[in-house]
Amino acid sequence: MSNLLQAEIFKLKHNKSFWVLLIISAALSSLMHYLVVSEWWMLTNTPFEAAGIPEMNALSMFILPLFFNLMIGTLAAFYISTEFGSTGVIKNQIISGKHRSLIYFAKYVVYTAAAVILTVIIPVGSGLILKLIISGSIFNGDHLIYLLTSFGLFTLQLAGYTAIITLIAIMTGDSGKTIIFSIALTLIMFVIDQIPMSDLISKLYNYSIFHQFGTVMNPEMTAGDIVTAVSTGVISTVVMLLIGMYVFGKKEIK
Amino acid sequence: MSEYILRTDELTKTYKNYKAVNKVNITVKKGDIYGFIGQNGAGKSTMLRLVTGLGFPDSGKIEIFGADTAKELNDAQKRMGAIIEQPALFLNMTAEQNLEVHRLQKGIPGKQCITDTLKLVELENTGNKKVKNFSLGMKQRLGLAVALLGDPEFLILDEPTNGLDPIGIVELRELIQKLNREKNLTVLISSHILSELYQLATTYGIIHEGRLIEELSLQELDEKCRQHLKIKVDDHEKGVTVLERKLNTTDFEITPDGSINLYSHLENVRIVSAALTESGLIIEHLSQNGDSLESYFSKLVGGSSHE
Repeated sequence: MSNLLQAEIFKLKHNKSFWVLLIISAALSSLMHYLVVSEWWMLTNTPFEAAGIPEMNALSMFILPLFFNLMIGTLAAFYISTEFGSTGVIKNQIISGKHRSLIYFAKYVVYTAAAVILTVIIPVGSGLILKLIISGSIFNGDHLIYLLTSFGLFTLQLAGYTAIITLIAIMTGDSGKTIIFSIALTLIMFVIDQIPMSDLISKLYNYSIFHQFGTVMNPEMTAGDIVTAVSTGVISTVVMLLIGMYVFGKKEIK
Repeated sequence: MSEYILRTDELTKTYKNYKAVNKVNITVKKGDIYGFIGQNGAGKSTMLRLVTGLGFPDSGKIEIFGADTAKELNDAQKRMGAIIEQPALFLNMTAEQNLEVHRLQKGIPGKQCITDTLKLVELENTGNKKVKNFSLGMKQRLGLAVALLGDPEFLILDEPTNGLDPIGIVELRELIQKLNREKNLTVLISSHILSELYQLATTYGIIHEGRLIEELSLQELDEKCRQHLKIKVDDHEKGVTVLERKLNTTDFEITPDGSINLYSHLENVRIVSAALTESGLIIEHLSQNGDSLESYFSKLVGGSSHE
């Protein structure tokens, strides 16, 4: 397993798309934080404002699936799907005699780590750095605990989301289709969130990671909410991973 | 250990209503260079994809290094290297980086194997040049290097000379022969260029429309393709005596249908004919036979071969 992880990390390090997205994420989050802090961009009614850290309001963009998917959907397309495309490098991995489940899991782990870097560590990190530069200090203990808890739970939901995107990337085996399907998925979830739906769909949605992306940012989360968020994230991740491994295990490689 | 590296038993693969591979039994012995011949679309690549685990058979059995269960086959694959259809390479990486990915994947300790393998395929001086800037021949050689990394015992090459220039083809052939000779590497190589396999393979499998229609050794193929006079006389025993006494030759064989295949006197058909008739024999049939590999293949598949 460690061999496969090392190989995946090596591939990620040499993936041009990853570095481009990393630069975009760093530049975009720094700019957005700066615009918020300099009060050029006024955002109100955000969970960060409610938590008493309006300086981090720019993060409210980064917690929207429609927004962060643009980065991690693109990464999945050019890091995972592309291996099934014209270069066909996935063939070498399978021929190497490693079990398909392990190959899939290694790809998922490294892809998820990259997604967390792009959509959590860089946006939160750049906000903290900007805060430090401007005010000479970071937040107090409570605010840091809030950030840690909310983004810890957010990362758990993100792990479930990347498990879905990995599955899409493997199933389509095509960069373009991966981007299109991932955008379509987030759009559908956005519509379900905004438009009244039947009880069943609403109930299912409320226990999905898509609902949890917003819920976990609530500074007033109860212990029950945290348990629900953890369960939703873990169950979604495990279920989607198992489905992904099964699909990849049965996939004919062209 | 089994003397067989690969054996398939009634291997079948269907796509929709089309049987791409139909009950194929092939046997690749240790040390063989097995030439898998077939026209485009005959089922060669599908067959190789099944053997390498890229696809799954509908029925039948695959045995590699004596292993036939899914888990054992996975382990057996660690002793194999393969190029299926085209070299699978990271185009934005250098040759060395491509091999590094596969070294890490296979868990091969140390980087010396990369230097050695690049040297073997004569790509040691490509430096920082990205694979996307390589010629087709260089890509083929790098694909071969990837397949050879970790010293596999069994190498599977699917149409490896596609896109290579004549010199590249000769170099590849010499490299395969060298590896087979020096490292006892068993090779399964597919091609539709028959003359190319004829200079390389020691065993042949001929596939047509998904079916293996013949499997034969180089000797057997030579024998079948050898030029000869096919003679049918009313008394073949007397005919044999005439050939031995009058033409002083024993370079012939009697076929099951009583014909005589004479491998000498190919340029002297009249002399042969005269000797037989002067001895009172009635010649029922006399013709010059023998095939090139291409015409033999053509005859088998019932169409024109793809040269």
